Amino acid sequence: MEKTKNPIVKVAIHLFLIIFTIYSILPFYWTTMQSFKTLKDANSRTPKFIFTPTWENYQELWLNSVPENGYMIMFFILLAVVLLICMALFAEQFPWPNWVTAAFVLLGFAGLLWGIPEVVDTAEFYDYFVNTIIVTVGTVVVSISIGCLAGYSLARYSGYAAVVILIAALGFRALPRLTFILPYYQIGSALNLLDTRFLVILTLVAVNQPFTIWMLRSFFMDIPKELEESAMVDGANRLTAFRKVIIPIMWPGIISTALFSLLLAYNEFLLVRILTQTNWTLPVAISRYTGGEDPRHLTLAAAAAVSATIPIVIVILFFQKNLVKGLAAGAVKG
Amino acid sequence: MTALMVIPLIMAIWLGMNFITFRNINEPEFIGFQNYIDVLTDGRFWSAARFTTIYTAIVVPARMVLGLAVALMLDQVSKAVRGVYLSFFLLPFIIVPVVGTLMFKQLFDASGLITWAYRMIFESRLPYNELTVKTLIMIHGVWYVTPFALVTYFAGLQTLPSDLLEAASIDGANWWQKIWGIVLPHLRSLTILILLISIMDSYRIFDSIFVLTNNLNPVFKADTLMTYNFSTAIQFQRLGKGNAMAVLTVIGIMIVLIPNLIQSYREQIEER
Repeated sequence: MEKTKNPIVKVAIHLFLIIFTIYSILPFYWTTMQSFKTLKDANSRTPKFIFTPTWENYQELWLNSVPENGYMIMFFILLAVVLLICMALFAEQFPWPNWVTAAFVLLGFAGLLWGIPEVVDTAEFYDYFVNTIIVTVGTVVVSISIGCLAGYSLARYSGYAAVVILIAALGFRALPRLTFILPYYQIGSALNLLDTRFLVILTLVAVNQPFTIWMLRSFFMDIPKELEESAMVDGANRLTAFRKVIIPIMWPGIISTALFSLLLAYNEFLLVRILTQTNWTLPVAISRYTGGEDPRHLTLAAAAAVSATIPIVIVILFFQKNLVKGLAAGAVKG
Repeated sequence: MTALMVIPLIMAIWLGMNFITFRNINEPEFIGFQNYIDVLTDGRFWSAARFTTIYTAIVVPARMVLGLAVALMLDQVSKAVRGVYLSFFLLPFIIVPVVGTLMFKQLFDASGLITWAYRMIFESRLPYNELTVKTLIMIHGVWYVTPFALVTYFAGLQTLPSDLLEAASIDGANWWQKIWGIVLPHLRSLTILILLISIMDSYRIFDSIFVLTNNLNPVFKADTLMTYNFSTAIQFQRLGKGNAMAVLTVIGIMIVLIPNLIQSYREQIEER
């Protein structure tokens, strides 16, 4: 719509938007403040707006209160980042193909993730963090691979069965999680899989799959059929056409979808809470800090909340365009 | 893919007919429809169902109206400022729900900011009873899903046909007339979509209530279907009854959903 010229209306709009901004970020502001306070400051009945910030809570959360370990981890992470930048700069000049470099970098990160607790003494929270990464990455990889194949075939094959499958998927998307989780609990206990990351990933994939398929399908529908047909005329079979022609132009769509299933897996609480007793992911670990009315948990919970938020904010900062695009286009259909 | 979803559903119906606790989890005892009857005659189940309905009826319209209002205002400001506002507004939506709730809750702790502000303004303690706790849950519900409605509406506003608006301006239509006559009809399909997704999501609200009420739900009577289902199955260990309740919940949600499913079925058939 055209913009208003009236200055009073303009000021009123900005005023309202600022109030809404405060409403949106007030909890974040307050929790971040709390996480840098000492217990005494945090529990003060009159809020302290001016205080000396302390890293104590984060050190207790991640490092069992041994601050020296923090410097070592910083050093490791710095080393990894420098290596990554070098790899990215010189990737073209290596004598081996790019995917070898990528695999090498991934292996390095995995090594770093598992290596840190071997070298320095980390707290339980670190294990939950590693768990979360494994579960999230596993879910995204599996559900995107299945989703790409299913979404592509559903976008191209328009028979009666395809419609039925799509509608069933939509229906399943709406079902309450517990309807799936309790039977999966039963299956898990029968197969002795309870409390494993494998079961969590399997269930998460099952729960998120309808959404992934719908979203990827709507992205595939935007790609004209002629594209792979011309490739097939040139002698490629369907699989090669899919791999060499369709997937490269699908990357933005795949990233959008991956982002949403990443958020779903990272955020999942109920499912992980039921299917695991020790192999928790971050949301469940954090809810533990709110379990008691113990005021000692106040700052620790705040630090945990902030720690769990930072990775997701970093990811979103990189991919905000994809997120908004996904919300506007594909996600709304699921 | 279908097997991953259909098998659990059938299993849930079957398990709902058994008496299962964690002790005899691998040898369930068949008791027919007893669990279903138990659930349907359970007072707490109905009070949970009532609160879920009230929650949905209040929160869904509130977040849609608020989202639309903010989206309309966001449309009025310049592009550069818009991005800044938008990234702040998105924050409650992208964050882990449990963490967001925890942050929200810290405002209302004994040493929290809102508790303090309330004491300053009204000179009495913020009371925690059934009414205030339920209100709190609803405010939180609006807080964390409004960004979704907002961004979707905002994206919809960007595709408004400008020639229609210009024609309306030339004909001397005022702001309200343009909103009613052009903008709202344009956003109609989006509205239905947001409505459906919001209903489905608030129907299965769990995380936030679980964290906010801290297992004090019998005190506050703020159970929703999901939290009561969870405490039946996991905390009271009545897995069979939990399954039965989940199945009954599915039947409830299907009543809302079936018209929508039929409609999208027709759309898909037409698209072919």
